[in-house]
Amino acid sequence: MKNLIRSLIILLPLFGIYFFFNILTEEKFYPGADFRSFEVPNFELSALDIDVKYTSEDFDNEFLMNVWASWCITCRVEHGFLMKLNNDGYNIVGLNYKDNKSDALGWLKKYTNPYSLNIHDPKGSLALDMGVTGAPETFLVKDGVVLVHYSGEVNKVIWDNVFVPIIKENKMFQ
Amino acid sequence: MIGEISHFFTIIASCLFLLSFIFSTRTYQSNHNIEILVSRVFSYGFYFILISFLLYVWLAIQSDFSIKYIAQHSNKELPIFYKISSIWSAHEGSMFLWILFLALWSQLFNINLSKKNILKAPAIGLLAFILFGFLMFLLFTSNPFEVILPIAPINGADINPVLQDPALAIHPPFLYLGYVGFVIAFAYNTAFLIKGDMDINWERVVRPWSLAAWILLTIGISLGSWWAYYELGWGGYWFWDPVENVALMPWLAGTALIHSLYVSSRTKALKSWTILLSISVFSLSLFGAFIVRSGIIDSIHSFANDPQRGLYLLGFSAILITISLGFYAYRLPVLISTNLVASKSKEAFLSINNIIFATLIFAVFLGVMYPLIFDFIYGERISVGPPYYNTIFAPLTFLASIFLVFSVGSLWKRSSQLFFINSALSASILLATLITLYLVSLFNDFNWWFVGGLFSSFLILFRYLILIIYSFYQGNYFNKASAIAHIGLGLLILATTFNASLSYEKVINIKPGETYTAEAYEFTLINFDLINESNYDSVRAKFSVKDINSLNKVFFLYPEKRKYFIRGQITSESAIKITPTKDIYMTLGDQLDSGYWVVNIQYNYLIRLIWIAAAVMCLGALVTFTQSYSKK
Repeated sequence: MKNLIRSLIILLPLFGIYFFFNILTEEKFYPGADFRSFEVPNFELSALDIDVKYTSEDFDNEFLMNVWASWCITCRVEHGFLMKLNNDGYNIVGLNYKDNKSDALGWLKKYTNPYSLNIHDPKGSLALDMGVTGAPETFLVKDGVVLVHYSGEVNKVIWDNVFVPIIKENKMFQ
Repeated sequence: MIGEISHFFTIIASCLFLLSFIFSTRTYQSNHNIEILVSRVFSYGFYFILISFLLYVWLAIQSDFSIKYIAQHSNKELPIFYKISSIWSAHEGSMFLWILFLALWSQLFNINLSKKNILKAPAIGLLAFILFGFLMFLLFTSNPFEVILPIAPINGADINPVLQDPALAIHPPFLYLGYVGFVIAFAYNTAFLIKGDMDINWERVVRPWSLAAWILLTIGISLGSWWAYYELGWGGYWFWDPVENVALMPWLAGTALIHSLYVSSRTKALKSWTILLSISVFSLSLFGAFIVRSGIIDSIHSFANDPQRGLYLLGFSAILITISLGFYAYRLPVLISTNLVASKSKEAFLSINNIIFATLIFAVFLGVMYPLIFDFIYGERISVGPPYYNTIFAPLTFLASIFLVFSVGSLWKRSSQLFFINSALSASILLATLITLYLVSLFNDFNWWFVGGLFSSFLILFRYLILIIYSFYQGNYFNKASAIAHIGLGLLILATTFNASLSYEKVINIKPGETYTAEAYEFTLINFDLINESNYDSVRAKFSVKDINSLNKVFFLYPEKRKYFIRGQITSESAIKITPTKDIYMTLGDQLDSGYWVVNIQYNYLIRLIWIAAAVMCLGALVTFTQSYSKK
């Protein structure tokens, strides 16, 4: 009896710890990540830097879409990692969100541009349709379908654990 | 540059703590020099971490936005006070503060403990190990010194506006001081278990530290509750939010600990239980840190997170808990005292209340864990709310109050007379019954918890009142500290009972010019003001309120809604009118399309008495602290 109590004193907390370990190592434990896929909604918005209009038809290939703004400090933090992704050959589309054109262009000029092209969404209408709640947010898109929606800063940990498995699974960016 | 120095000093401090720990494992030859070395190296480690933190505060004051953390949580326009408090407004900085406090407690302990104490070196070594572990957590998973290269942003992202409040700015420091203060009891008792010399008198050493930690934790929790009430616009004092619960568990365990320590130091009973409690309090603090910082639970208090942090904290807590509980289980046969607890003695009543406290802790623990277990097994989200906690807490608190009253005037190690023979007890039961009956019929509320709450609070209050009067009259000694603290408890039960019974809220739709009458007050919405401040826009309603009961006296209330520019966050500023028995509490909701505004009016009875009662409890503990500290 005494030995039972003695072993329980140790085993009960360890069991609790094992339980939490299971929760934490569960694959989906990334609160910012949403894996429900949906089609990119219809839109027509102008580019940030040149005078052209983009519509949803233009976006039927594979790319990352990053929601950013010049007023967003975390975007500034995320910027270094996006540059790395850009250098690694990933196609990143910028969605400039509730921002003023000259501020946004100044920002890109000052910190260098990681985006292949930029959509200007001053009222956040496309962003609203895509379920954006703030900046930065990042979408992984294949053939017009969003596979991952990540809210918050994308860094190496998030990239390796949230994006890379889906990219491999769908054989993207090859 | 200063950022790098600060960072570097933290790294040096980690190395020194590791060194101190390594030295402490070499003390078995009972080489006195090495014991002194453990303490010395620990002190140096403390000074480095202190300077590092002060430099960090300087960086925050200077708004050095090359530091990523400061850029994300501070802003040039903030007053200095909030620039400093922005340090603990998010995960990395608050962890830094947490560690600083851990080091501060440990260092005070290090200075205070006599060199001759044979547990000093192992206890300090253990503290050094804990500090080293948390510093590694800080440096590798939540580094507040990370810089933004190459160009720093011009301005920062601003502190979360709900955190721009004096109560909030000081609430986390108190809470952390309380949480980590129990580390002393944990480390010293674990050292005692490792050493295994049963003749060491650890109760006297641990008691003042645990009392001090308890006081600070109580202040921290009360300030948090006060902040939620008047700044967050929650309109109450306690919400059984998961993160409130993880602060409540160490508080309950700490309360049981300081009482149990008292028993163990007076009689030889309950030693093994007291040690188990001292391990539990700090383990529950670790559990709290884990829950808040791993992101396992969504709550207003949770920090943004990544799973690495949770895994690290979990692993490190596992090491600490396994070491301490392992030695506890190993020493258990010799720890269990042969002194039996005499029935109806003071220690018997305290033991019963210890069991009640353990039940309460388990109940809260279950409430926190149940949604997680449910989610894990069934993949569905559920929440455990106030009805669960109230059903468990109310009856157990009433029961504990009765045993508390029995313990007053009872004797150590001897059976005491109960009921009719004990006139003071009978008198308090009689008085409490009479006043309860009167109030129940006056308010016409026959809920069991209203009756029970009134009875147990008046029982406590009358019992102590009689004790005080009797002792003054007879010139007898009585434990003043205990009387003050428990009168505080009586007031707390009284206040929460009345608050739960009488308070109510009304949600109304109103437009300018209209009048709404509730209870004896007439609320007239006069107009709205638009206010442009430097960092927010706000809509402020002006209400005139006519108090019909007191000669139609008129006062004004200004509930307000703010929209902060930098984060676009909307906050609600409640308007509160304080009267002797209640608060009239008003918050502004949304504007409807029809031009009406949704307004929430609450009458919160005796809510201020809750915080006053908490202050009285702290005062009692403070008196005990000064006594036990000087006796040490």
